[in-house]
Amino acid sequence: MTTLNPIADLNESPAGHANDRLRRGGLWPYLLAMGPGLIAANAGNDAGGIATYASAGASYGYAFLWVMLVILLCLGVVQEMCARLGAVTGKGFADLVRENFSLRMTAFILLALLLANFGVIVTEFVGIGAAAELFGISRHIAIPVSAILLWVLITRGSYDRVEKIFLVLTLVFLAYIGAAFLAKPDWHAVLRDTTHPAIINDPGYLTMLIALIGTTITPYMQLYVTSSVAEKGIRPEDYRFTRAEVWVGTFFAVAISGFIIIATAATLFPIHKEVETAADAAMALAPLAGEYASYLFAIGLLGACLLAGGVLPLSTTYVMSEAAGFERGVSRSWGEAPIFIGMFTALLALGAAIAMIPGLPVIPVLLGVQVVNGLLLPIELLAILRLINNRELMGRHVNGRVYNLLAWTIAAGVSLLSLALIVITVLGWFGVQLIG
Amino acid sequence: MIFFASLLGQAVRGKANEIIGLLDDVIVQVGDDLYPPITGLVVRDRRRQFFVAASQLESFNGAIRLGTSTVNLRPFLRRDGEILLGKDVLDHQIIDISGRRIVRVNDVQLAQIERVYRIVGVDVSAKALLRRLGPRSLAHRIVGRQIIDWQEAQYLASDAPVRLKVSYDRLSEMNPVDLGRIVDALSFRESAEIVAALDNETVAETLEEVSDERVADLLEGMDKERAADILEEMNPGAAADALEDLDRDLAEQILARMEPEEAAEIQEMLAYDEDSVGRIMRSDFVHVAEDASVGSALALLRAMDEVPDPLPAIYVVTRQQESGHETNTSEERLGFRGIVRLRSLIVAKPETQMVEIMEDDLPTINHSAKAEDATRLLAEYNLLAIPVLDDTDSMIGIVTVDDALAVLLPEIWQRRRENVFS
Repeated sequence: MTTLNPIADLNESPAGHANDRLRRGGLWPYLLAMGPGLIAANAGNDAGGIATYASAGASYGYAFLWVMLVILLCLGVVQEMCARLGAVTGKGFADLVRENFSLRMTAFILLALLLANFGVIVTEFVGIGAAAELFGISRHIAIPVSAILLWVLITRGSYDRVEKIFLVLTLVFLAYIGAAFLAKPDWHAVLRDTTHPAIINDPGYLTMLIALIGTTITPYMQLYVTSSVAEKGIRPEDYRFTRAEVWVGTFFAVAISGFIIIATAATLFPIHKEVETAADAAMALAPLAGEYASYLFAIGLLGACLLAGGVLPLSTTYVMSEAAGFERGVSRSWGEAPIFIGMFTALLALGAAIAMIPGLPVIPVLLGVQVVNGLLLPIELLAILRLINNRELMGRHVNGRVYNLLAWTIAAGVSLLSLALIVITVLGWFGVQLIG
Repeated sequence: MIFFASLLGQAVRGKANEIIGLLDDVIVQVGDDLYPPITGLVVRDRRRQFFVAASQLESFNGAIRLGTSTVNLRPFLRRDGEILLGKDVLDHQIIDISGRRIVRVNDVQLAQIERVYRIVGVDVSAKALLRRLGPRSLAHRIVGRQIIDWQEAQYLASDAPVRLKVSYDRLSEMNPVDLGRIVDALSFRESAEIVAALDNETVAETLEEVSDERVADLLEGMDKERAADILEEMNPGAAADALEDLDRDLAEQILARMEPEEAAEIQEMLAYDEDSVGRIMRSDFVHVAEDASVGSALALLRAMDEVPDPLPAIYVVTRQQESGHETNTSEERLGFRGIVRLRSLIVAKPETQMVEIMEDDLPTINHSAKAEDATRLLAEYNLLAIPVLDDTDSMIGIVTVDDALAVLLPEIWQRRRENVFS
């Protein structure tokens, strides 16, 4: 059932010329052959992700590397459950929530999702602004222009043609792997910190930890996995291939994040340079790209932000309209689908408008949104767990006992961390310092 | 009017007005009835869920009242042919047949017809959502409904975990374009359910309007014999597009099960690039020899079993027997001479020679040219169709304005839902 057949043997087709064409040409099969995991991993490296990993490396050195191992496990388990939901039920996440939770619960879960996704949309525009400024273009020009461009591309239906270009641009972030090696990190220290969990008693540490979780395990990725598996019509009996793909993708995603941390830890941490602007994050690419580091970084950032900036408002609107049962589709006119088109436009416009607030500090905003995502994550995790353990829905594909224990531990852990951050923040307002 | 959402969770009272339990769900039998009858209630008394037969139900109006005070506490079990209004209908998607769209059931309307309570319609309005979201005491202040008659609502059997006999006949009355859009927008499993229930011809017409990816997925999921039968009914260009998205081995297996003639046609299509003229052209066009008169051309048209539709023009050709090496071939080359537009044909006298009224200064296009070039020529020369020639300048088909429009219109997002997430 997997569609990753090698393209090479097509010419040996005995049935002749006509069959040579049975596979689509173009760039796509090659990218697919390169590994879907790698693509997915890169698509996940959006503005918020880069900012968070770079900050973690610059501020704490290798201290967060062991956390990435834990995140690898968490992300894998969560994504696997989502893929299984899609494969067994054949339905997307919004569908499942609406059909299996009470209406009020549905509204609550989807509202949390809307909030999380909207935050990410804002970060994509912040990222576009930051990338433009690295090229010397004012963000007050770049952001509205990209918002309008994305709106036109999507409503005219030509977005899927440029989407692939944006995706290729994000491959630039693979440069962090090269940069990490060229920066000559102390590999012994890297290995030691990856395998020896250590918690730093520092007020920013917990926030950073939650931001890392929030940016890596995103509700948006979970939606994507469930829906795309359901869309492809993967049958439960073919599910093991999908499971393998999910784990490979997760591994690549976390590996690239890890290399970003290593690259920034090796270049910025020793000189006590905290990541405050996009240019700082680009500096970590200097061992590889030298003086062109910031341009290289800007290209990747622009690609990533335009990619997510187009897909997120659309998929969010789709999910919300689908759950509510509104007429949907961007090919519909304002009169035919007023709520759909209105919401889509509003997400783009509001996201761009917030990103244009004068004096907005780029990296703190990007980090802040990831923290909010981390705080909202428990809601989605609990919804996923309820669904996956619903025997009427999943039959014999519910979680096994050990796996379930692991999944619940993850959900509980993430919830506890979020709760802790809220408590510490609130106490902080009253002048109580628990750590530091 | 009785609405299910307002009954849910309400007290179920016995003959003496005592509370027996709370209403958990309503059981409905789907099958032959136009308006499915209620066969029972699922009532909850603290932790215990039990079944109350519809025969014991006295009234739904105002309060839920039973005609008896003694209920049998047998536990509720799901049975084939029966669905639960709350679990399987409310909040699920149905197809609004006359509205030609997919809607979500926000409430269910019940009515008593000849002493039997039945589903008569579903409320799909956003107001129904608001009524359920807000506090119950405020619900009556939100007015407005949008009811779809149950006969116009296509229930999807895969929404319930039991075996159901659901008729999909009404879907085949829909325009294939609308049905295609719905098949595209539904989940894969739901679309497969619909495709499995309809006849080959309807499926073929519908799939021509569905995105290539979804068609490939659907073909992959069905019996190979059936896939072959459906592809035979489809227009060869659309069939080729679908096969191209399939796994190569599977595509070959399906082609092998098709009638040789249809399979050959598709193979021919597959030889062309996806965005080439060859892929979008149609090979059914009417041609006459140079010595034909208007009368004989019209006679030829009238004598045809199936006149091509659309019929944009009649083409004048010189017939040359293929001087091929294969002796049994009946292939003839059609040397393109000119076009006789229908308008000219109709106004001409029957004895006029076709060559006199034909136009020979109009463009033609090579089969391997880009489809977009064909659309440009059609627009520039105000043609309804353009002749397609192969590399030996023999006429092999036409591209009509209709075919060209399909190329020009951008891929519509709504039809390609998977792209939203990829």
